Amino acid sequence: MTMIDTDISGVPARILQSPKHWRNAKHQSHWRTGDEEFDAAKFGMWLFLSTEVLLFAGIFCGYAIFRMLYPDAWANGSHYLDWRMGAANTAVLLFSSWTAANSVRLAQLDKQFWFKINLIITIICALLFVGIKFTFEYGVKLPVGKAPGTFFSYPYAHDVHEPLWWSLYYVGTGIHAFHVIVGAILFALVLWRAHRYQAYGPTQYTLVENSALYWHIVDLIWIFLFPLLYLIH
Amino acid sequence: MSQDTTTPSNDLGWDPTDPHGINPHDEAHQGHFIADWRMQIGILALLLFFTAMTVGFYNLEQWVETSFEIVLPKWINIVGAMSIATVKALLVAAFFMQLKYDKALNTFVMLFCLFCVGLFLTFTMIDLGSRHLVDEYKAPQITSGGTGIGLNSASADNDFAVVISPKINTGGMSIVHFARLNGNSKEHGLLYYREHDDEATFWAHFYDGHAVHRDELDEHDFFSQLGFGHHAPTSSSNASHPRHGLTPGLFSDVYPGAHATESHGNGH
Repeated sequence: MTMIDTDISGVPARILQSPKHWRNAKHQSHWRTGDEEFDAAKFGMWLFLSTEVLLFAGIFCGYAIFRMLYPDAWANGSHYLDWRMGAANTAVLLFSSWTAANSVRLAQLDKQFWFKINLIITIICALLFVGIKFTFEYGVKLPVGKAPGTFFSYPYAHDVHEPLWWSLYYVGTGIHAFHVIVGAILFALVLWRAHRYQAYGPTQYTLVENSALYWHIVDLIWIFLFPLLYLIH
Repeated sequence: MSQDTTTPSNDLGWDPTDPHGINPHDEAHQGHFIADWRMQIGILALLLFFTAMTVGFYNLEQWVETSFEIVLPKWINIVGAMSIATVKALLVAAFFMQLKYDKALNTFVMLFCLFCVGLFLTFTMIDLGSRHLVDEYKAPQITSGGTGIGLNSASADNDFAVVISPKINTGGMSIVHFARLNGNSKEHGLLYYREHDDEATFWAHFYDGHAVHRDELDEHDFFSQLGFGHHAPTSSSNASHPRHGLTPGLFSDVYPGAHATESHGNGH
């Protein structure tokens, strides 16, 4: 059987004997080895991540065109945003990216307790990010009419194209926030399976790895959204 | 299967006695890279450092512009922010996503994707930048400010007036002008202040900040009355101030009543 030297003392038999426990997990029969299954799953994840990049590329392309056409609206729009909120959210996401990378490493090393702690921190950071976004950004802008397109009703706008800026802002950050929520749900699933079955360990951590990859791409996109929206004017 | 089971399995690259690898392999996952925690925490520190750097660069640039009354070229802002973002992205991709230690195929997928993004942006720019070569009248579409035609402004020709939305009727005004007059539940519009004979409050708020010219709805020239005209920076030999939004009359058709009273031009 497996040669990985891990300490299983103290693990209840109910969990150790579960078919979902990482020691008992078998790869699907159409793969020659678990490694091949893992590599294929990871490759599939990278293909999916590339489509995610293309999705946001549309938003970045729209940003570039409209910034070129309506520089005044874009300069005003950027000044309506508080860079402190953007920087706080950047720090939150970078930190959670680190805990996500940690959780992969800890699963590989079969350190179940710290693995779960890192998953929990990642989920908390995701909620914090969305909380800051909705409370201190959307929550203060929408009531005063800084809204996209025809919903715009802010009386102190200086440029006729500012509703267009808000459209791009809400679509870009909104789709990104949606991805953050999806990432939190993925990690919650991993956490539940780790807690209930100890489903992830040195020979079986595909979902941990792929969730972390997804989380890193969400972070990567924010790394570009933050300066584009908050810092470039 | 007429397989010769005496063939050494390492020649085939798979085990003939177990072609589907159903039995567990001892070497499973041994080749996987396990990150060093010191490296990971170092990358996090670098990422946070670069975040502080990009924010610092932004604030430094704002400070230089206001303290020395100069206008920095726009590319400094863009190149500074985007190059730092690119470094951060490379750190995340190489170390947190482990592309550096991973199969080259995964890196190739992402690079090919970025190549497609490049194509996407390039052809869009070529399209926008060459429309005037086909139809001369499309030249203004790629100039700053564009044609001014869009969802945000009404058609200059009433016969072709666009209904912005079935939910909102701006009476031919752009949404921005409509919002300025009517406001919303939290912020009163200009009409409210006019009713309460307190227009100065509205314009003081409106011009506060970076206004350099009188708005066309400001019929009584509060721009000058409140003293904003003096704040408009003027160009000198070593500082050039672009007058953003000055283009007179570019959008004046969107509010037909704007030309009715007073003379233009004093506020500039």
